[in-house]
Amino acid sequence: MTNDSELLVLSSSPHVKHKNNTRRIMLDVIIAMLPALVWSVVMFGWRPILLTAVSVLSCISFEYGYQRLMKKPTTVNDLSAVVTGILLAFNVPSTAAWWLMPIGAFFAIVIVKQLFGGIGKNIVNPAIAARIFLFVSWPSQLTGFNEPITDAVSSATALGALKEGIIPEGLTVLDMFLGLCSGCIGEISALMLIIGGVYLLVRRVITWHIPVSFLVTVAVLAVIFPQAGGNLEYMAYALFSGGLMLGAIFMATDYTTSPVTYKGRLLFGFGCGLLTVMIRYFGAYPEGTSFAIMIMNLLV
Amino acid sequence: MIYTFRGGIHMEEYKFTADSPIEKMPAPKKVYVPLSQHIGAPCSATVKIGDTVDKGQIIGTVEKGLGCPVHAPVSGKVTAIEEVLTPMGRKVSRVVIENDGEERLCETIIKKENAVSEVTPEACIEAVRLAGISGMGGATFPTYAKISSALGKVNYMIINCAECEPFITADHRMMLEYPEEILDGVRILNKVFGLEKGLIAVEDNKLDAVAKLNEVRGNDETIEVRVMKTKYPQGDERQLIFALTGQELPAGKLPADVGCVIFNVETCYNVARAVKYGMPLIERVVTVTGDCVSTPKNLLAPLGTPMSELIDFCGGLSKKPMKVITGGPMMGMAQWDINTPTTKGTNAILALSEKFTRPYDPNYSCIHCGKCVSVCPMHLMPLYLAQFSEQGDLGMCEKFNLMSCVECGTCAYICPGSVPIVQFVRMTKAKINEEKRRQQALAAAAAEKSEGKDSSDKKEEGKK
Repeated sequence: MTNDSELLVLSSSPHVKHKNNTRRIMLDVIIAMLPALVWSVVMFGWRPILLTAVSVLSCISFEYGYQRLMKKPTTVNDLSAVVTGILLAFNVPSTAAWWLMPIGAFFAIVIVKQLFGGIGKNIVNPAIAARIFLFVSWPSQLTGFNEPITDAVSSATALGALKEGIIPEGLTVLDMFLGLCSGCIGEISALMLIIGGVYLLVRRVITWHIPVSFLVTVAVLAVIFPQAGGNLEYMAYALFSGGLMLGAIFMATDYTTSPVTYKGRLLFGFGCGLLTVMIRYFGAYPEGTSFAIMIMNLLV
Repeated sequence: MIYTFRGGIHMEEYKFTADSPIEKMPAPKKVYVPLSQHIGAPCSATVKIGDTVDKGQIIGTVEKGLGCPVHAPVSGKVTAIEEVLTPMGRKVSRVVIENDGEERLCETIIKKENAVSEVTPEACIEAVRLAGISGMGGATFPTYAKISSALGKVNYMIINCAECEPFITADHRMMLEYPEEILDGVRILNKVFGLEKGLIAVEDNKLDAVAKLNEVRGNDETIEVRVMKTKYPQGDERQLIFALTGQELPAGKLPADVGCVIFNVETCYNVARAVKYGMPLIERVVTVTGDCVSTPKNLLAPLGTPMSELIDFCGGLSKKPMKVITGGPMMGMAQWDINTPTTKGTNAILALSEKFTRPYDPNYSCIHCGKCVSVCPMHLMPLYLAQFSEQGDLGMCEKFNLMSCVECGTCAYICPGSVPIVQFVRMTKAKINEEKRRQQALAAAAAEKSEGKDSSDKKEEGKK
């Protein structure tokens, strides 16, 4: 007889589990953001790394500190705070003061995420809320774009020019696509962001619904109502400028603040696109992606 | 054409024993035969302690209600009729038979040899009932009752060989090794239901079995083998019906309501044996596997054999298992006693270490990823069912169709946040059913009361 004195674990089925977990998903998101980070170093030097590091460390510290203080189990290991940290840094220009990062991190992690119950419970994307908080509090810090270190690239902000109804001087569509332009750390290269997005799709971290419906909505509206240049030319500038790619691929697809069904995601992406264009056209600010996503977050 | 359904997931198969032929396990010295091995009323014993029984002799019958008899799996002497706890914690009687090793077959079995072509529905139902056959895929619904309740309603008869749970290979080996009897089973059931064609549904990870069945079938047009996509839970009756007929089976309905009837492949095999030879169900194929079993095997073992003896026949345990499970890892049941005997529904015994079976994580958290929604074969929103269950909001649970859940567990399997989704659903289902019973009892009491009042009112009126 087999020894029957050893204790067995009892539990309700299922007894097996898929090997994925929250940590692995967050790790995939981090990997997907690396190309854009590398590109910002190419364009702006080492300062993006500094800001990202400060941001990530601040986010981890605030999450850990808050959970210790409130005597809650620590969830820093799930890497979600790291993702928020990188996204926050991606949303500021490389010239931003370093002390903005801990402030933004506090807002993102403590106020937006933990006070609402932690991972999975927040109602808006922490990084986006923090970006908006910093943007309205220190506007000059968030819009003072520097000249990229690479020569022969204009520092004119494409969105500003587009808003005034002109095609940005010295910036071709290809420049914008590759990221040979100024802007926030993580948003300049559409190509690098798309590479990250494809990685996320292949790893099945995100589905195509939100990015595609978001971008298609913006593209269609841009073709129909161009503010400068030819229809298709304007569409290309509209797609590759500002934080649109970053927002559509990495921020709007945030699990917690986006719908769970495919149809819901399509609708969510459409709403994001529509609001982005409305704000770009009619708002006081040249860029509307983050506001659009936050408003849609609140509707989920 | 490959048939399938929407949702579900292709999981790691771990079918270690797919190439291991079925080995006949010698009957153990003692067998422990529970008197309740099917859905329905338990049997009462028809033998006494000290009786000598033949192999295949009826030792327990159901007098009233749904149920089928239980037979002696070996010849020998009844040494005890005892009350024990089932794996679910309920009390059940079981008959202990000491094997005399003579393999003396019961007389009724040897004499019969009926032709497949001459079977009538009545004869088939009676043979199946006497043989004690109940659904062998795990659900153990008495097969004679399924046949008789579906008579005259069936357009599609499906033999379920999906075997979509990981690890299990019992059905797969049955198809490879006993194709003739399985096909005879289909012919018999076709005749009973008056169908021109019966379907055998196999997942595409068992194409060797498909080839074997087709080879033996030859030009017989009354049987069609259909290949389905390998995807869990393809073997769930609702998914099977949708994949093969395109019909959705509404919650609370039976397959017969949409003109379908489904039998597990080993059930079908045993129907053939019961009709042809009067052979009762006294043994079954059990896949004994898992990373803690030395040599995983497919065994043909007498019912009532303790699990520990099956494991010992496979070289014993190679390391300490964290869980021992009967059935598949997705819907099977964790056992607390390794000496629990096999029953008609035991298609597998798994001994798994923590490498395969993760313990419950108390720090689960939903990250709202929606993966459970995309895999749910019933197209529910499992994350909200878990959330409302946790909050105890039964009304919202019902509004989100919690009662339609088939408890396949795909949601809990895929969840990156380790939320015990299907476990929450099971708890809430029990709560809702209890609440319904309470309401009904209250309503009945109220009706009785008002009725009583009415009659007393009438009396008073009469007096006036």
